[in-house]
Amino acid sequence: MSDQVTTQAFVLPRIGAFGRRLTLNLRGLRRIWRQPGLVLSVLVLALVITAALRPAVFTSHDPIAGRARDALQAPSAAHWFGTDATGRDLFARVVHGAIHSLGGALVAVAVGLVVGTGIGLLAGSIGGLLDQALMRLVDVLLAVPGLLLALSVIILLGFGTTNAAIAVGITSVAIFARVSRSEVIRVRRSDYVEAAFGSGARFGEVLVRHILPNSLNAVVALAALQFGTAILAISTLGFLGYGAPPPTPEWGLLIAEGRTYVATAWWLTTLPGLVVMAVVLSANRLSHAISKEVGR
Amino acid sequence: MTPRALATRLGQSLLVIVLAFTGAFLMLQALPGDAVLIKFENPELGLTPAQIAEIREAYGADTPIWTSFWHTLSGFVVGDFGYSIQNGTAVRDLLAEVLPSTALLGVLGFAAAVVLACVVAFTAMGVRNPWLRNTLASLPSVLVSVPVFWLAMVLIQVFSFRLGLVRVIGGGPVESLVLPVLTLAVPISAPLAQILVRSIEDVQRQPFIAVVRAKGASRWWVLTRNIVRNALVPTLTIAGVLLGELVAGAIVTETVFGRAGLGRLTEQAVANQDVAVLQAVVVLTAVIFVVVNLAVDLVAPLVDPRLKKEVRAAA
Amino acid sequence: MTLAHRHLSRRNLFGLGIAAASLTALTACGGGAQANNQTEAPAGDPVKGGTLTYLDAQPHTSLYPPSAGFYPNGGLVNNITDRLVHQNAETLEFEPWIATEWTVNDDATEFTFTLRDDVTFSDGTKLDAAAVAKNFDLYGLGDAARGLTVSEAINNYKSSTVVNPTTVTFHFSAPAPGFLQATSTINSGLLSPKTLDGKLEDFGAGKGPTIIGTGPFVVASEKIGSEVVLKARTDYAWAPKSAPNQSRAHLDQITYVVTPEAGVRVGGLTSGQAHIARQIAATDEKQVTAAGAKLLAPQTRGVNNGFSLRFRNEVLADKNVRQALSLGTNRQEVVDTLFTENYPLATSVIGKTALGYQDNSSKLVHDPGKGAQLLEDAGWKLGSDGYRTKDGKRLTFTVNEAAPQPRSFDVTTLVSQQWKAALGVELKILRADAGTYTKAINDANQVQVYHSMVGRADLDVIKSQYAGKNRNTLLNRDPADDSIGDTKLEELLTKVASTPDHDARIKASQDVQAYLLDEFYVIPLFEEPQVFGLGPKVHGFEAESVGRPTFHNTWVAE
Repeated sequence: MSDQVTTQAFVLPRIGAFGRRLTLNLRGLRRIWRQPGLVLSVLVLALVITAALRPAVFTSHDPIAGRARDALQAPSAAHWFGTDATGRDLFARVVHGAIHSLGGALVAVAVGLVVGTGIGLLAGSIGGLLDQALMRLVDVLLAVPGLLLALSVIILLGFGTTNAAIAVGITSVAIFARVSRSEVIRVRRSDYVEAAFGSGARFGEVLVRHILPNSLNAVVALAALQFGTAILAISTLGFLGYGAPPPTPEWGLLIAEGRTYVATAWWLTTLPGLVVMAVVLSANRLSHAISKEVGR
Repeated sequence: MTPRALATRLGQSLLVIVLAFTGAFLMLQALPGDAVLIKFENPELGLTPAQIAEIREAYGADTPIWTSFWHTLSGFVVGDFGYSIQNGTAVRDLLAEVLPSTALLGVLGFAAAVVLACVVAFTAMGVRNPWLRNTLASLPSVLVSVPVFWLAMVLIQVFSFRLGLVRVIGGGPVESLVLPVLTLAVPISAPLAQILVRSIEDVQRQPFIAVVRAKGASRWWVLTRNIVRNALVPTLTIAGVLLGELVAGAIVTETVFGRAGLGRLTEQAVANQDVAVLQAVVVLTAVIFVVVNLAVDLVAPLVDPRLKKEVRAAA
Repeated sequence: MTLAHRHLSRRNLFGLGIAAASLTALTACGGGAQANNQTEAPAGDPVKGGTLTYLDAQPHTSLYPPSAGFYPNGGLVNNITDRLVHQNAETLEFEPWIATEWTVNDDATEFTFTLRDDVTFSDGTKLDAAAVAKNFDLYGLGDAARGLTVSEAINNYKSSTVVNPTTVTFHFSAPAPGFLQATSTINSGLLSPKTLDGKLEDFGAGKGPTIIGTGPFVVASEKIGSEVVLKARTDYAWAPKSAPNQSRAHLDQITYVVTPEAGVRVGGLTSGQAHIARQIAATDEKQVTAAGAKLLAPQTRGVNNGFSLRFRNEVLADKNVRQALSLGTNRQEVVDTLFTENYPLATSVIGKTALGYQDNSSKLVHDPGKGAQLLEDAGWKLGSDGYRTKDGKRLTFTVNEAAPQPRSFDVTTLVSQQWKAALGVELKILRADAGTYTKAINDANQVQVYHSMVGRADLDVIKSQYAGKNRNTLLNRDPADDSIGDTKLEELLTKVASTPDHDARIKASQDVQAYLLDEFYVIPLFEEPQVFGLGPKVHGFEAESVGRPTFHNTWVAE
């Protein structure tokens, strides 16, 4: 069926070039340094991850409590990103929000990765009727637009950061399932797996020792790509009012809260928006690099 | 495709739709509370419990799940989607009212995305400076990283409120479409541009290019023809993904711009747990998705004969 | 005024201000807003014709008049229907409208109206006593089979009698002194008998052009969820006598545009793309006035924005706990930090401009020290985490985020901070999907503190808010078993709604206000206005008695 074609197309930045193990050897590293864009991406990601884990490294301002007399100040040396309507330091809010947005994206990717890859592995390695049944379920997940699916899941689970992340994760289950299934099928048809079966190895053993490790590369690249997508999706849910409750400084919520001030305090929406863009861009760039590395 | 393969494919498509219907139904039934409760037990209305009980009965809010499942399913089969509990309008009327607007937005948004993708990709191809070329070629990744709702607000603020170039309120039908179409086009143009850029790279590497050029054909003509043909198949195969992007984009775009449409309807229905509307929207989008993918499967081998073998092998 | 007030509020914020002085400033400011139910005396003659663009935050859901309490519904119903009686938005007196005169019997169980004989519906049929009777039979009794609810404004309705084509009498099973006012509200908009035959579905979104009333405007077209176009009736000639415009509306057309984004509403208004925008947030007011637009902030004249303490909850059953919460709430800080002078500090359960208002400021004291002591004495001991506990249970409550109310989340967050700091009480905020929310607010063990308000320019409003059979915000009637917790409160409320004598009703309302505050059932926060932003070209715009837009006398000067 069209699985093969569709799968390749889903994973836009060339995860289609399937193959060898991810080997970031010295030559690979040198290649990376010759790409300033990639270096910058890694740097951006390193910064936001640090911000998520150790926000105090970047700012001493309180992200939740502000001083009313400092309200709506433009970016300055004291407040790098300016302040919001209740005098809270926006930079501090962005820094402290990293854990919510990145953590959310991580949960989302984890849900998609575990559930999706699980389905794909089962379907691909067992095949037959189970494969058919699982793939039809995946088709159903694909057939409902992601945002609509996420919204429905959220009402079911209740509002909140984690639930929004789970909802976004569920929307990516289908893609993970498809990619991992076609990888498993490819690996299973390969000579060494045939040989392993031929030498009398048990199914589970072959699955764990040969199929799983050899089909993971494409899935890892996909996960990196989904990370960026998840940040966007979670912030969209936050914007529509279904994500983290205020005063959580989640990035989507920051943009949403600042949007009434677009005319008078441009920094409140613009700067968090640019941060989201930079992080998503970096994650996508990294995913691109990983899949290229895999294809080499 | 052989007739038999086609029949299997059709059967599978139908199965997916029925499963989507059932899944949506079960999920919506499992939601906390129901729309009748939300609408009428709202203390703002000041209704007495006896009145609420009467209304619940009139709406059949407490019928057993199987009864209402068959009732809803048989309604859907004949095109009766029930009534919106929030505003009492027939869901069919609601959909009929909003679909043309969203379809127009979607078609124009897609067209604008194609244009945008072509501009980005072909400009990148034409530029000699490698640095600039790289920058242009990575523009799609930037476009796909922009939060749509943020883009919408920035566009409104800059082009409408600051520069006064287009009105977002009270403009004519064309004027009021400009910014929403642009907003919708940006995220969709990104994957298209990526495909085009890749296709350009592939085609330029092929030896026949040198041959045709030697024969005196215009470089642009040859390139463009081959690139477009090359890019068509991957574009077709992500049609389903683009469709999902369109719907998600419509929800956000229509909310920010206050346009009537499927997206707004969906957003409102989610907020009010208007189960009848949500059920219809889920099934409708699933049907569109399945039909588009079916069409792609039928058309793709015609566009690229190489696929015939692959499709047969996979089936 | 604005500057002086802001100066005071800021000082107060730092703990330096004198509450009394600030209060005076606020009261004065509030006074300015009250008189402000219409735009200032227009310069020049009204301009005929033209289109006005009006921005609302939400789409309307129904044009069935009893559901007009939902603001977007009311904004339309008010302009496409007339009422029997007109309530002057300034004086709150009743004036003839479709009814030229009326009589009420001594115990307020029979109301007889004499009607004008020159009024027609927009489909050309004549309005007569039978049509009016049919309206109130439906609004007073409802029809559950068709999904049509009873009007909240009408109590004890029994039946109607058509005496002759211009005279109709309504009968009540018990005194209904609020009925006259009820006939003046948007919930009693008069519709044609044919329209009244419809089901709830026939009043829904998209059905506007089929809704036939006698008002100065008719719904010409609708785009569901985004736009409603009203066109003026050229033959309209039955405005209330006090109306400055006695003939057809000045405008030809009004376009209601739904703009959920506050930023787009404000931007649309300030950039001149729209003429009027509703729901200008307190935080946006400056932005609007800076751009040359005006603000109109009519009061909603009802129960103030505030918290209902659900005393049937086990913990809140203790009066000392309720008193402590009241003492620990710094209402002045809420108003100063989050709002503007258009949101005056509440001085009673109902607003200063509401009928029957009595100044109860002396009962609304901020004394966190005493509050903490009361809790201490009641056995709630402060733990190391800053919260009080008793028998291992933390002193914790949940308040709902009231989405329709201005900055509800900020208000509840601020109060939550105050209670934690001053009292050691935890206040959680409920934000949930509509289903979970509706269930939770109807359960005193899930939502112990209920945030809400209600506007209606009648003495009945206090009963609407607290009576077990109505909004029941205190959950005095337990929805689970229909039992009543405080029968005295119910008696006091019933008195307001069914005492025939006007002065006695006022007394009854004042008794309720005092009782609610003496028992610490309610913590009123501020008097809630409807804030409109008006572009510089708009003249003659008015809001009816609870802040719904009235366009009959409005014009746009290009």
